[in-house]
Amino acid sequence: MSWVDYLDWIVFLTLLAVGYFAGRAAESRHFASIRKREKELAKVLAFATKYPPAAHLPQQVRLVSGSAVVGSDYFKQFVASLRTLIGGRMKSYESLLDRARREAILRMKEEARRHGYRLVVNVKIESSNITGGNRGGLPAVEAFAYGTALKPVAPAEPDRAV
Amino acid sequence: MRFENRAPEETVNYADEHPLKEFALLVVGVLGAVALGAALLGFFAGELAGRVPFATEREYAASLTERFEQAKLTPAQRDARDALRALAAKLAAAMPLPPDIAVSVHYADEPTVNAMATLGGNLVFYRGLLHKLESEEAVAMVLAHEIAHVRLRHPAAAMGRGVAVGLVLSAVSVGAGRSLGGDAVQRAAVLPLLKYSRDQERDADELALGALVRVYGHAGGATDAFTVLSQAAKGEAGRVAILQTHPLTGERIGLLQAAARQNGWPVDGMRTPLPPALRSAAAGK
Repeated sequence: MSWVDYLDWIVFLTLLAVGYFAGRAAESRHFASIRKREKELAKVLAFATKYPPAAHLPQQVRLVSGSAVVGSDYFKQFVASLRTLIGGRMKSYESLLDRARREAILRMKEEARRHGYRLVVNVKIESSNITGGNRGGLPAVEAFAYGTALKPVAPAEPDRAV
Repeated sequence: MRFENRAPEETVNYADEHPLKEFALLVVGVLGAVALGAALLGFFAGELAGRVPFATEREYAASLTERFEQAKLTPAQRDARDALRALAAKLAAAMPLPPDIAVSVHYADEPTVNAMATLGGNLVFYRGLLHKLESEEAVAMVLAHEIAHVRLRHPAAAMGRGVAVGLVLSAVSVGAGRSLGGDAVQRAAVLPLLKYSRDQERDADELALGALVRVYGHAGGATDAFTVLSQAAKGEAGRVAILQTHPLTGERIGLLQAAARQNGWPVDGMRTPLPPALRSAAAGK
């Protein structure tokens, strides 16, 4: 009789603790990985400009994109839902979106590098809530980055040279 | 010209502060404010409801009273009910119950080890509890406790609080949706109501004890009754006091004994055997 009376509290506090520890571990691992790969991919440049640098003309183009979905945890969701009552910075979700955006750009750059591109222009980022705003559903956020990868046209082969 | 993608500056897009800090601030701030608001609202609603004339409450609860009255009883059960009514009349006179307040005692042939007081001065005594009580004093303590609830207008106050806090909460949850925060708000709002409920129990215990001593000359029945109730609610050792509707039994017995000593009442004394009508009903005959 005794502990069963508090089953709802036990479940709630356990989920909160699991969310906190697991979510925090996942987040710090993800940030470490993001920082490391940002350095590795620093040679692939991404810009929001619509106009490619003149030096790159003529060029080959390719659409590159990267998408990342990051799930929230119970702790973040609890803190955020209390926050909705009074308003203010939703700090617990800000890091989630930051991770999603940076991960999406990294995946886009990765695709560009795989195809031999070192420059991506006209980069745009979109984000969406993939749970469709269901009440009570765990929020997960998707960030989608896309852009136009550019590289100079390869010099003509010697035997076909005019 | 040389271009580069510099590493983004950390802590611009997200806060570099410990997540437990925001958690603590929100829990204390938001849930504390909710609990305080519910406490205030509950207090005023309870006070207001307790001031509604008893006649109005009785009218409001007329259908409830009728339902209790029309419950089918065997002749033995009717005898038990009448014995309980006679005892209640004695205790009500000793309390004393003001002339405008009346109680209607009902007997329920159910195994529940409990008794209750509800709107309109209706008291229900369950066979399960009667079966476990061994003296008239113990039965009298339970009855006196429930009569005290009516005398102190507790059912009305509790309903007033429940309705007021419930209305505001439902408006809040329409706004906030069914979310984790909404659940936490509900829990926070219930805490002060539980506190009021425990206070009611303590007040009823105290008033009941006075009536018991005036009728029997000692407080012995009180301890008997609570010992039986605590055995029925076994496993109380692991309970969290602030989440209960009733104070823990150990505390109740301690408070009663302290009150008896303070008033110079004998804590113990001779027990009166149960009247035959109650004994046979309790035995299920």
